[in-house]
Amino acid sequence: MMKIFKLWRYPGRIDFYRADDRLLLIQIGIIVGVLSGLASVGLTWSLGAMLDLLNSLRYHWWAFFIPAAGLMLSSIFLETIMNEGAGHGVTEVIYSVSKAGGLIRLRSCFTRLISSCLTIGSGGSAGPEAPVVMSGAAIGANIARFFNLNERQRITLVGCGSAGAISAIFNAPLTGMIFAMEVILGEWSMVHIIPIAAASVAGAETCRILEGNRIVFESSIFHISSFDIAACFGLAIVASFASVMLTRMVRGMHNISKKTPAPFWLRAAFGGAAVGIMGFVVPDALGEGYHTIHAIIHGVYMEGIGIAFIACLAKIIATSLTLGWGGSGGIFAPCLVIGSFAGLAFQRVLVFAFPWVMWSGEGCFALLGMAGMMSGLLQAPLTGLFLIVEITGSYDVMVPLIIVSALSTAITHYFEPMSYYLKDLIDTGALLRPGTDQRVLSDISIREVIEKDCISVSPDMLLKDFISMVKKTTRNYFPVEDTQTGKFLGIININKIRPYIFNTFLYDSVVVEEIMDVDPAVVYYDDDLSEVLYKMDSKNYFSMPVLSHARFIGMVSKATLLDKYRDELKAQTFHIV
Amino acid sequence: MVRTLLHVFRNTPRGREVFMQSLYFCKLTGVSIVIYIPEHTKFLMYYDNDAVQVDLDKSYLTDPGTAKEHAEDLAEKAGILPRFIKPKNFTASTLPDIPVHFDFMCCPMSIASLSAKISPGHIGPKVRRIINAATFPVIIPIPHFKEWHSLVAFFGGSVSDVKELKLALSLKKATGLPLDIFTQAGKKPKKYFEKILINSKLDKEIEENVREWYFLTKGKFQHNLYNVPHDALSILGAYDKEFVKDLIWGSTMEFVQKTLPNTLLIAGPNYIIPGG
Repeated sequence: MMKIFKLWRYPGRIDFYRADDRLLLIQIGIIVGVLSGLASVGLTWSLGAMLDLLNSLRYHWWAFFIPAAGLMLSSIFLETIMNEGAGHGVTEVIYSVSKAGGLIRLRSCFTRLISSCLTIGSGGSAGPEAPVVMSGAAIGANIARFFNLNERQRITLVGCGSAGAISAIFNAPLTGMIFAMEVILGEWSMVHIIPIAAASVAGAETCRILEGNRIVFESSIFHISSFDIAACFGLAIVASFASVMLTRMVRGMHNISKKTPAPFWLRAAFGGAAVGIMGFVVPDALGEGYHTIHAIIHGVYMEGIGIAFIACLAKIIATSLTLGWGGSGGIFAPCLVIGSFAGLAFQRVLVFAFPWVMWSGEGCFALLGMAGMMSGLLQAPLTGLFLIVEITGSYDVMVPLIIVSALSTAITHYFEPMSYYLKDLIDTGALLRPGTDQRVLSDISIREVIEKDCISVSPDMLLKDFISMVKKTTRNYFPVEDTQTGKFLGIININKIRPYIFNTFLYDSVVVEEIMDVDPAVVYYDDDLSEVLYKMDSKNYFSMPVLSHARFIGMVSKATLLDKYRDELKAQTFHIV
Repeated sequence: MVRTLLHVFRNTPRGREVFMQSLYFCKLTGVSIVIYIPEHTKFLMYYDNDAVQVDLDKSYLTDPGTAKEHAEDLAEKAGILPRFIKPKNFTASTLPDIPVHFDFMCCPMSIASLSAKISPGHIGPKVRRIINAATFPVIIPIPHFKEWHSLVAFFGGSVSDVKELKLALSLKKATGLPLDIFTQAGKKPKKYFEKILINSKLDKEIEENVREWYFLTKGKFQHNLYNVPHDALSILGAYDKEFVKDLIWGSTMEFVQKTLPNTLLIAGPNYIIPGG
């Protein structure tokens, strides 16, 4: 019984899967996709139930307390009850892929689902997508852990979980797949694509079985004229402006919140209350805002250019308050709402300024605005593009979508070179995409490149004895250690003591202590290899001593490092075809 | 090669007691100490196949201004040069990642504010994940420091126990302390255990290095534990036998931890013997 159980826990050891582990990953990926789909459906249903429950209370004067309470409970749940140390869900997933070999805590399978339900259900302006991605990725990571899969396989399953989640929540399998590859993994390799595609389909199918095969924002057919195509350039600028504004405002609010001398739950409650008060003036600023997108796409949203601009600005502020002050949720849904408002406002300006032109409908520009906003904020044009196509079923707007997505990505990149999800990771040097120099170096530890076959000498050794010892070895560096304490005192570099070597008169009068370098540049046992290489490059060294607790451990040299670097690079990129 | 022990420092009198156990271990074995002074009440350790979050209580953040000084003072008195680590990576802004490339770790005593809970045994479930995932042995300290005058290895015949026995033998050589073996044999004859030792090529080493083998065939395990010297460092293997049984009934290690007032050194299922 135990033997079967153990074999079951180590499927990678089964001969059938050894030849090609994609078969194994496809099977486990489907399981991950189904579970991610269930998580997504669970969150959607919970949000629906919570909105139904609280809707009747929103007309009271004290309704602004509802988002305040929701955000407060959400932050308490995450910080105190679950001890999560929460960050943005998607950022944490990318971090785990970059730095932690795809390991994610088990509790993350459900924590963000509950906290985001409290935030969004109470009226906070955030989206359910990032929490579902976090949950799906954590499911993938922990299933991989259960089956004792290796790091590469685990990362693939993290991608499967993310793909399944996005695919299920938007009923958009293609987008789920592209999101996982473009945003989460940051690489396009066959070894990932196939299991992720399977998981994405599994996620979407789970959602379709439980909720029906619906298109999230079904739209009518749009007729695109050349004027509309030309207008795309202007819309891309508007969408970029909105995405830069949202990014900076969320970050700004977060910084203000961090500096506010109040407990985290009080800050979250303040953010929620502010959103609640805003909701009295602009009700569309509350919640995930999908109903607003429906109204805009169908061309039944309130008239007026000013209304559209105000709603757009209000949604940006509400999202910043929610996410910046401690609410839990993603930026996808607010992004879509803001993008649709931006598109709507732009279309109305066009109609006002050029009334003689037959512009496409408000819905069409709303779609384009959503794509522009998504592409700009995430710096992921393909995700933005395919998401809009799939969630609206509007393949006829493909050309303008490509223009807006590409331009918006480029323009936003000029002002905000890093995507919303990656900014923190890049700032802290934690974004390590596979096959890059930083990633290769981070995967090699200094312990792997230490040359331990060094010969230590004592400070009182005579030059004569030292020379006779040098004759028997091929090494150029000799650490000098205290004979009593074993402490590192300095190093002798053969190249630097040539004048002494050839002066035989000094052989009996000079000791090692007198010719050693007493203050050599050293590296430490815990240093990252990128730091080691930086020191080597900046001082033009080819070899450096490694110390720990003031003791000499060995030497690290560029030659050994290059060998290891190549091995690691081969290991990281062998599957990229 | 410098071997290192990770200690999570708590700047309180109780933390000092635990720290002194780490220092004493380092002094006896020649291991260097690496100290982490927490700035947050939690941290993450990414092992090969697990991400373990260690939740501390607020006492670990006591008076951070003097923590380093206190740790240095104690280490200096013990004649040990300490090294302090600061986390370089953060999974979230309040969740630092601590490296896992150590040779030993002193498990933080995650005690609650209730003094009744300050006892060995209470921390069992919390350290289970660390022991299960770690490639190094974990020291489970006791509330008050006392010097060890011998080593006791618990040998039950499992794979983990064999690894733990090798660890005990290496510690015996490093410290020079006498080593005893404790076996609750039950119905199994001594030959069964001796065969395991022969198969593991440990028989001769055991014969040469072990002071006494407490081979107990009668009596309850908890009663027989009285034979373990109170001033011995107890070395155990853990969690490699019956997964389901451990899950339902609890492991022998946790039972020993609950019963004995000794400092424990636990080698988990993923413990890798250096050079072996």
